[in-house]
Amino acid sequence: MSNELSRPEPAPPAPVPPPPVERMVFTPPIDIFETDGGLILRADLPGVSLETLELQVQNNRLILFGRVPPAVPEEARLLHQEYREGDFLRSFILSENVDHDRITATLTNGVLEIFLPHAPQAQPRRIQVSGP
Amino acid sequence: MPVFRWGHHWGEAFHDLEREVDRLLNSVNMTFQGLRFGRQFPPINLYELPEEYLLTSELPGVKIEDLELTIAAGVLTIRCSRTEDGSNDESRYRRQERPRGTWQRSLTIPDRILEEELRADLTNGILRIHLPKAPQEKPRQIPVMGN
Repeated sequence: MSNELSRPEPAPPAPVPPPPVERMVFTPPIDIFETDGGLILRADLPGVSLETLELQVQNNRLILFGRVPPAVPEEARLLHQEYREGDFLRSFILSENVDHDRITATLTNGVLEIFLPHAPQAQPRRIQVSGP
Repeated sequence: MPVFRWGHHWGEAFHDLEREVDRLLNSVNMTFQGLRFGRQFPPINLYELPEEYLLTSELPGVKIEDLELTIAAGVLTIRCSRTEDGSNDESRYRRQERPRGTWQRSLTIPDRILEEELRADLTNGILRIHLPKAPQEKPRQIPVMGN
């Protein structure tokens, strides 16, 4: 029985960065209804708080993004699952007559309510006509 | 291969249900995303920790006064309702996707739970119920009478 030739140890593999954690992203259900002053939009964002909500208006587009922190400690063992934890994302095109500067929003019990006021009607402007 | 399982502690109450749902799920190709609106409301997750079970549920917009948790004879019942405030007439809705109404769900819990010490909190629309496990009971000696 021959002795094993000594071979150099193979170089240890380079450390591989952990794979990025997958996060689910959900489209939250919304209600939109009209009031006399404008539109009201309500979105269900369970688990989202003021600190984790982002609301942006850009170029006639309203974007809402809510991050949801884990509801249970990491060591918790999942026995039964009917929903997955994830973040919320949805965007909307705003119509021309929404007054961007007066948009307001509140977040209560995981429900976001956005008020999109109608822009006031522009006053008709008289145009002076000069004679010949 | 088992697909749908409540977990062995809960198996007693759900054996037949588990078998039936397994049959259903094995015969249908389901994508989870599509279930989001078709599933039960409110949805419930159950976790286990060393000292307690933890039940979580998504109940956005449900106020504490519209939520009722009861436990009796080892059955936990969650009753909640959500109605639209602002009482708008339906014709003014442009879009209506959020579930509304009254719901009730009941779950049989193992008797190894300290019922008097259940705690629940509702924060940001997430309900969490802590179900502390009962300590293991010591075996009790049974005296035997001789003749």
